[in-house]
Amino acid sequence: MTPPADRSVVVVGSGIVGSRVQRLLGGTLPVTVRPWSDLAEPSFSLADHAGPGRVIVLATGGPHSPVAARLATTGASVVSVSDGLGDVSELLELDDAFTAADATLVVGAAMAPGLSGLLAQYLVTRLHQSDEIHVAVHATAGPQCARQHHRALAGRAVGWHDGIWIERPAGSGRELAWFPEPVGARDCYRAEIPDPLLLHRTHPDVGRISARLSATRRDRLTARLPMLRPPHPEGGVGALRIEVRGADQYGARQVAIAGVAEFVGAAAGAMAAVMAEAIHLGEFPAGVVVTSDPTLDTNALLDRVRARGVRLQEFTGVPQHV
Amino acid sequence: MKLIRRALGALALACLFAAGLRVRGKGGTPPQHGGWKQLDLPADPT
Repeated sequence: MTPPADRSVVVVGSGIVGSRVQRLLGGTLPVTVRPWSDLAEPSFSLADHAGPGRVIVLATGGPHSPVAARLATTGASVVSVSDGLGDVSELLELDDAFTAADATLVVGAAMAPGLSGLLAQYLVTRLHQSDEIHVAVHATAGPQCARQHHRALAGRAVGWHDGIWIERPAGSGRELAWFPEPVGARDCYRAEIPDPLLLHRTHPDVGRISARLSATRRDRLTARLPMLRPPHPEGGVGALRIEVRGADQYGARQVAIAGVAEFVGAAAGAMAAVMAEAIHLGEFPAGVVVTSDPTLDTNALLDRVRARGVRLQEFTGVPQHV
Repeated sequence: MKLIRRALGALALACLFAAGLRVRGKGGTPPQHGGWKQLDLPADPT
């Protein structure tokens, strides 16, 4: 897609993620902020805020697909931080609409999905052949993210397993995942999160793809109940861990692991800002773009995420104890 | 009374066994931290 003439960005939502996107983009692009209530209202006129060349960052809880479908008709590009499985699935179906409008829709521009896809693609390129991708996520950003975390532990977790989609009850399949410090080891469980859907779209040859969320016993016990208390304004330090298993050119088994330990809102804000900037630079094609797409310049995008303060790390093996 | 004596005896034996393992065991301390380092992104060829 050619770089748009109108270099303005509209950030929808002024929560933890929205405010960070605004701050990160504010120095380089003209940014305006709109409340989610405006766009979710069917009578709201999009003409003043959306149009060809503009980038709309949907930095709220969602669902984003109905709004993105309306925005596609205006020719505006959209960056969505949605992490709902159903919502992401519907966003992926808007490929034709955005292609026809010569606009871009970035699906999954948060920490997970989003940074998880970039890191997965980075690790895939490190191996000769990739057989498995496993994603683990710890903590949440703002209150809407916390509510989504709560819902995700009560739904149906999807995973790609030896050529078929499997569904398992969320909260099952405990695995101990070792995140970068200071988060460390956490028990993680299958959850209704869209990472397997997005990773399979760009890596259909990978045999097994799974995603897990960290949770405490209380999280799992109360997952199917209404939230017992209001979520915190912002979660603590969160983390992301991507593990890719495969083989080198001689067939020897290899495992590559990368991760992040960062405030989830900061990582999600950095990802959304980098995606909006890439659209303005004309680096993304028209239609749906997923961050694990091998045709994107993954290293350059990761470099920009890092330049916005997100410390990317890789696991080098368990150190020998003294 | 007999039951209590037996229970206490079993408990004492278990404590002795655990103490022996603790003092004489050679398992060492498991690693407490993972080995993470900053990601090395290849330099941009341009």
